[in-house]
Amino acid sequence: MTTSRCISIIVLAIALLAVDPASAQALAAAKATNTPAFTPPRTPDGVPDLQGVWTNASAVPLERPKGLGAKEFYTDEEAAQREKQSQDQAERAVGGRQTEPGTVADVHYDLGQYGLSRSQSKTAESKRTSLIVGPEGQVPPLLPEAQKRQAERAAANRGHQWDGPENRGLSERCILWPNEGPPMLPVGYNGNLQIAQGPGYVAIMQEMIHDVRIIPTDGRPHAPQSIRQWMGDSRGHWEGNTLVVDTTNFSNKTAFRGSSDKLHVIERFTRANDDTILYQFTVEDPTTWAKPWSAEILITKSAGPVFEYACQEGNYGMANILSGARATERKAAEEVAAKK
Amino acid sequence: MIRIPMRRNLLALAAGACLVLTAAPVWAHHAFAQEFDEKKPITLKGTVTKWELINPHSWIHMDVKGADGKVINWMVEGGSPNNLFRLGFTKDALPPGTEIVVDGYQAKDGAFRAVGKDLTFPDGKRLFMGGSAPGSHGESEK
Amino acid sequence: MRNRLSSLKISAILTAAILVATATPAVAQGQAYKAPRTADGHPNLNGIWQAMNTANWDIRPHAAAMGPVPMLGAQFSTPGGLGVIDGDDLPYLPAAAAKQKENYANRVKLDPEVKCYLPGVPRATYMPFPFQIVQSAKTIMLVYEYAGGVRTVDMEKVTKAPADSWMGWSTGKWDGDTLVVDVTSLNDSTWFDRAGDFHSDALHVVERYTPRSADTLMYEATVEDPKTFSRPFKITMPLYRHVEKNAQLLEYKCPEFAEEVLYGPLRKKPNNN
Repeated sequence: MTTSRCISIIVLAIALLAVDPASAQALAAAKATNTPAFTPPRTPDGVPDLQGVWTNASAVPLERPKGLGAKEFYTDEEAAQREKQSQDQAERAVGGRQTEPGTVADVHYDLGQYGLSRSQSKTAESKRTSLIVGPEGQVPPLLPEAQKRQAERAAANRGHQWDGPENRGLSERCILWPNEGPPMLPVGYNGNLQIAQGPGYVAIMQEMIHDVRIIPTDGRPHAPQSIRQWMGDSRGHWEGNTLVVDTTNFSNKTAFRGSSDKLHVIERFTRANDDTILYQFTVEDPTTWAKPWSAEILITKSAGPVFEYACQEGNYGMANILSGARATERKAAEEVAAKK
Repeated sequence: MIRIPMRRNLLALAAGACLVLTAAPVWAHHAFAQEFDEKKPITLKGTVTKWELINPHSWIHMDVKGADGKVINWMVEGGSPNNLFRLGFTKDALPPGTEIVVDGYQAKDGAFRAVGKDLTFPDGKRLFMGGSAPGSHGESEK
Repeated sequence: MRNRLSSLKISAILTAAILVATATPAVAQGQAYKAPRTADGHPNLNGIWQAMNTANWDIRPHAAAMGPVPMLGAQFSTPGGLGVIDGDDLPYLPAAAAKQKENYANRVKLDPEVKCYLPGVPRATYMPFPFQIVQSAKTIMLVYEYAGGVRTVDMEKVTKAPADSWMGWSTGKWDGDTLVVDVTSLNDSTWFDRAGDFHSDALHVVERYTPRSADTLMYEATVEDPKTFSRPFKITMPLYRHVEKNAQLLEYKCPEFAEEVLYGPLRKKPNNN
């Protein structure tokens, strides 16, 4: 255990002794939404009610823009400026082309015409400069062993990125989307989730790609260590009005931001008011980052419903990508042969 | 006293906003570049035969009569329909037989497949969201 | 005095006997099992359930038969089953009956299960994987381990789907202890089983989940599809609760497992340089 880790634990312990975690969470939620401290409604089983259809769409970037230093919050004026830019973007997105015809960047359907531009979806109001909290506002740098892992992975794929489905990203393969996590990050569009609660369980269904995290809150241990899953294995418990979810058992294929199967995610869900859930998460992996990092996202009520996103079933794209790559190779081979 | 944001804050704000608001996932562009050829722009005028309201991308199938009079059925890639659903569009919004015009790019492998960039009715009105001409502002028109 | 006491005693004994007889759950007298209630007063269907039959191989009565992949021998051949339908056969219209035979002959290529496609309704119920019911008053989530399929049943209002989907559009209500789910807007791309039994986009399914005992449900699905069948038919089976300690659904993210099947021919060949 490193010295910095020891110190963190001691600091945390002192903090916990000083403040009741339950009320600390309620205060955090009130502060984050600028609303009074909230007593959430309860389910018939007597636990806080997180149910409904929500969106985690956000205009706040994960990492703080360079040059802002330790500035965690914009002023009202700066936040209004960001909002205005979002509005202007919305007009351009709905209006027409934002890329130069005949360029690679232009080879894409127009998001705005389908109502999919990020600026066309409702986002939570926030003055945060980044989702990552704290003075740095950045994901910590990768440890040397993680850099090595990344480099080896990249080297293995170099020159092979169009060879077969295994060489493509997890999203293209319809296996896992980056918004799913955990942690659950905002995504460009369809950032909707539906929460249902039954006795002893909280179920979180995300629109893309229809995965449901069923989180038991009965205190059972994690699944055996030998079971490794794309989305890990989650266990929840209530601390006051906050659902705390602990996720381990990640597969090393998940590789969230370069992490390994040692990835450990702790999430907190606190209902801040009728229309908002304060979602906080801490990510740690001692083989990837020197220290844990945390972020905060406001999840807001959405009109819904969540529609089916059957990715695998409609994945013409994978076949088309590989077919296109083979066509490119054939053409290049023909050109070489013609020159001979 | 009116507080004016420091210039560097505005710059950072602009940069951050640009990153957040304009970037489609980087992988998406890269992969599209493998499927469709930016050097093969195409305009398709024809009638809808089928509208596949599926994910990850919807597809419009349309009969297009070539210069030689032969009718070819093209399939045109579009976006996830899920937000259109939330906006009240249903499968009846684009029934078979509807005349449409598609500006886009052809598939690299020579198939009768394209990615649709601008989708309009013959009068210039956009199929789903947007104004009647590129660059114009507009509410969604169903 | 003694006579009165005796008759009192007899009355008491008779009364006691009657009370005892009527106090036990009246299953013996043909009344239905009454499930425990959730905290909001509805029959509690929460839990992890699984069918235990061969319906996913073939919903009709069938004998054991050689499987479609000879190299897997006895590991992957069809086990026999008494069938889960009402009757010996499905009421196919003539053209549909011919199509089913064609499906069966080409089932390795055509069965959507091979490609990790969502199984639709009612096949999702009897896939050889568990599913979990997470029940709240307004929404009942049916979460299927196979391919991470999910259905949200709206218990509050009946709405129309904007388009067809693989798992359909489900609205539900209570009929006594039975959960009745009406499923519309199913697309035409799923099968009922591995034997090529299929349907059109006119498919309409009404499911009934009835608590049968503490650890069993009775499942009944009425299937109608006038483009494929001459009349509606019923699929019936018990569903069994997973009672092992700490039972949970695991991932079965099968797109990875279907990549060779779907994209193998499009892979770069070693001599393509």
